[in-house]
Amino acid sequence: MRLNVELKKRFKDFTLDVAFDLSSSRTGIFGPSGSGKSTIMNLLSGLELPDSGYIRLGNTVLFDSKEKINLKPDQRNIGVVFQHAHLFPHMSVKRNIFYGYKRIKPENRRIDPEDLFEALGITQLLSRDVSTLSGGERQRIALARTVLSNPRLILMDEPLSALDEGRKFQIIPYLKNVFNNYGIPMIFISHSVLEMRMMTDDVIVIEGGCIQQHGKTEELVKKSWNRGLECYVNLINLGSASPYKDLFRYNWGDISIILTEPPDGEENFFELDSRDILLFKRHPEATSASNLLTCTVTDIYSCGNRVRVALACGNEHLIAQIVPESVRELEIEKDAMVVVAIKASAFKKVF
Amino acid sequence: MINEITMLTLSPQDISAVWLSLKVACSATLISTPFGIACGYFLAFGKSRGKAVIEGIISLPLVLPPVVVGYLLLLSFGSNGIIGKFLNLFGIQVVFSLTGAVIASAVVGFPLMVRSIRIGMEAVDQSYISVSRTLGAGWWDSFFTIVLPLSARAIFAGMSLMFARNLGEFGATVILAGNIPGVTQTIPLAIYEYTSIPGGDRMALTLCLVSISLSFVILLVSEGINRKFKRG
Amino acid sequence: MRKVKDVYIFVFFILLVFTTQAQAGQVRVSVAKSMSNLYTSLIKNFQEQHPDVKIVPNFASSGALAKQIEQGAPADIYVSANPKWMMHLIEKGKIKTDTKKIFAHNALVFVGKSSTDAHSMDDLQKMRRVALGSPGSVPAGQYARQAMDKAGIYTEMLKKGQLVMAKDVRQALIYADRGETDGAFVYKTDAMLATSAKILFEVPVDLYSQVTYPVAMTKESDGNVDAKRFYDYIVSEAAHPEMIRLGFTLP
Repeated sequence: MRLNVELKKRFKDFTLDVAFDLSSSRTGIFGPSGSGKSTIMNLLSGLELPDSGYIRLGNTVLFDSKEKINLKPDQRNIGVVFQHAHLFPHMSVKRNIFYGYKRIKPENRRIDPEDLFEALGITQLLSRDVSTLSGGERQRIALARTVLSNPRLILMDEPLSALDEGRKFQIIPYLKNVFNNYGIPMIFISHSVLEMRMMTDDVIVIEGGCIQQHGKTEELVKKSWNRGLECYVNLINLGSASPYKDLFRYNWGDISIILTEPPDGEENFFELDSRDILLFKRHPEATSASNLLTCTVTDIYSCGNRVRVALACGNEHLIAQIVPESVRELEIEKDAMVVVAIKASAFKKVF
Repeated sequence: MINEITMLTLSPQDISAVWLSLKVACSATLISTPFGIACGYFLAFGKSRGKAVIEGIISLPLVLPPVVVGYLLLLSFGSNGIIGKFLNLFGIQVVFSLTGAVIASAVVGFPLMVRSIRIGMEAVDQSYISVSRTLGAGWWDSFFTIVLPLSARAIFAGMSLMFARNLGEFGATVILAGNIPGVTQTIPLAIYEYTSIPGGDRMALTLCLVSISLSFVILLVSEGINRKFKRG
Repeated sequence: MRKVKDVYIFVFFILLVFTTQAQAGQVRVSVAKSMSNLYTSLIKNFQEQHPDVKIVPNFASSGALAKQIEQGAPADIYVSANPKWMMHLIEKGKIKTDTKKIFAHNALVFVGKSSTDAHSMDDLQKMRRVALGSPGSVPAGQYARQAMDKAGIYTEMLKKGQLVMAKDVRQALIYADRGETDGAFVYKTDAMLATSAKILFEVPVDLYSQVTYPVAMTKESDGNVDAKRFYDYIVSEAAHPEMIRLGFTLP
């Protein structure tokens, strides 16, 4: 997908002035509240009109102020999932889901509804009443509704923000499922770093109506883009686990690691603070940490008054944060070998 | 007692008055409904600066005495009025005709309907409209599938209100349409005539009872349908 | 408790004083609408000679006036355009029967714009709309109905919705004068007041009973010296010049 955008819009106390080209199919727009994220979404979908600029999706010009082109929202084929599901209250779940689907000519319908319902796990919700659904269920129905309208691009405007912490990340596997299976490009808007890391490959950082940075999500996270973040947190995706004494053994690539947390399904996300990783020059004889891994240093860079060490453990990667003195003491340099110790309890489950 | 009951019968002229009242109220309400929906929509969602002026004009019949409204209508639609002269070219006479009675009722009841519809439409969350647009519904499609169903209750309430008001319309009707038995003499006009006739009290009372019963029936039907909307 | 009682007594006296003031030197006359101009003139003349007397007129259709008096509205003198209403009030015991006299007569005409093609009762059914006072309460309308019934056209025209009911004879006149109806049944005396409507034809006298205006004092007027004085004036020859000037026939 190629999306070329240039947008300018003046508001009472704030001006939006952005220009970007997207080629990744999983892009994020990241920024604090009031930075202009939702405005961009409204302008892209056609719900609001820019003062000037252009929007080109693939070969189609959706908006061009110079050529006086402006496609209405119903002509742009851009789906939107909002923060609140906005399911039509006067329609059943089924009618809601098929609202966009009915408005596409039969020959243009690409997606099989039954498949989609399975991918989203909503088959059993079809006969329910809209008012009896939970927040997470509503969002999944909203996504089904949007996907079935055959969009060329889906904008997700803080879709998880209205859900409570516990449920929030349960939806992410469903979302990833849909986007992996159907290959619809997606722009994910959020103010949560964690959500960005899980859902996107590329990200645009926006503040005060202007673009601050644009690059690969993990790269920006590593360089601590978010001023609120004092240290780097590793995000680790582990598969299922088997019991090990009174702990659990997980497979991480071809390494096995021990955690205190039990698994929950097939995909499990864990956060590992870079400060909780201990480095040893040589293999310690015995430690209380359950995990001892042999890794290779791939990169060293300073971050404020600390140093971050990028490590390769087999095929996986970690980042540890240590004080500058330790670099000298442990003689850490690129391609050097170190032993990494991590306690089983250091891994914190994301959801 | 039996004498009183046998006295409570309706003459053919009275039955004609009841029939006319229903005819006028139904016509005025049905004809006004599309305009009421349009005005309600404009006032609820419109963004032009002329909104306040238009709202003022629409609300005028609500604050003016009905006879004033009737007189102004007479000036416009009478044989010397601007609209009257124009309509005369097509052989249409509004004054002293059923058309006049319908117009008088429609004008007087219109602000009631618009007010109700406007409030109902303002309560419709604009997000639903935005969502329907992104799902491929054009403006009219979205209007009929989202806006109308969600404000149906308010539209119906407005219609009931206007209908009830029309059944009791007197001032504007008597001036624009006159008191013509069989053509424009609705229930209120018939009752008024009876009150000037010594000995006409019995007839007046009979018609009053009819009027009260009609209003009651409308209230019940309106409540019933309103509840159905709630459940649905 | 005593204070409240005092207030009530005080208010009662005030009201008494005001009501008695209202009655002293005041004459209330209920007169048929068709005589409104005549009586306005007569009252003006009388008051020039008797400045201390206040005469309060009430002009409406004779039926409406009779109904008001029947239900207790204050009136000292009643002038009806039709003996029927006077009889009605006599039956109800509201009239001093010894004061009942015939005051005047009138004639019924049909007025309309000069371009209207109506020259006799037979032409009326061709008209689109014709105004008359509501026969239930307006004598002019009763006489008109009587004439139309005798000519055999009333029921037909009523059924076809050609009859516009006015609340009194003056309103019927205005309808015809403004052109809202093709014509109207009014008294000859009213026709003289029209601005554009003209007398198209006089209704044949054999079609309706003679228009008679009875006048009488009400039982309520007992003791009202000024009312008696005004009554004596209007039934005397002093009123005749004005009556003739405005087109009424002397009794």
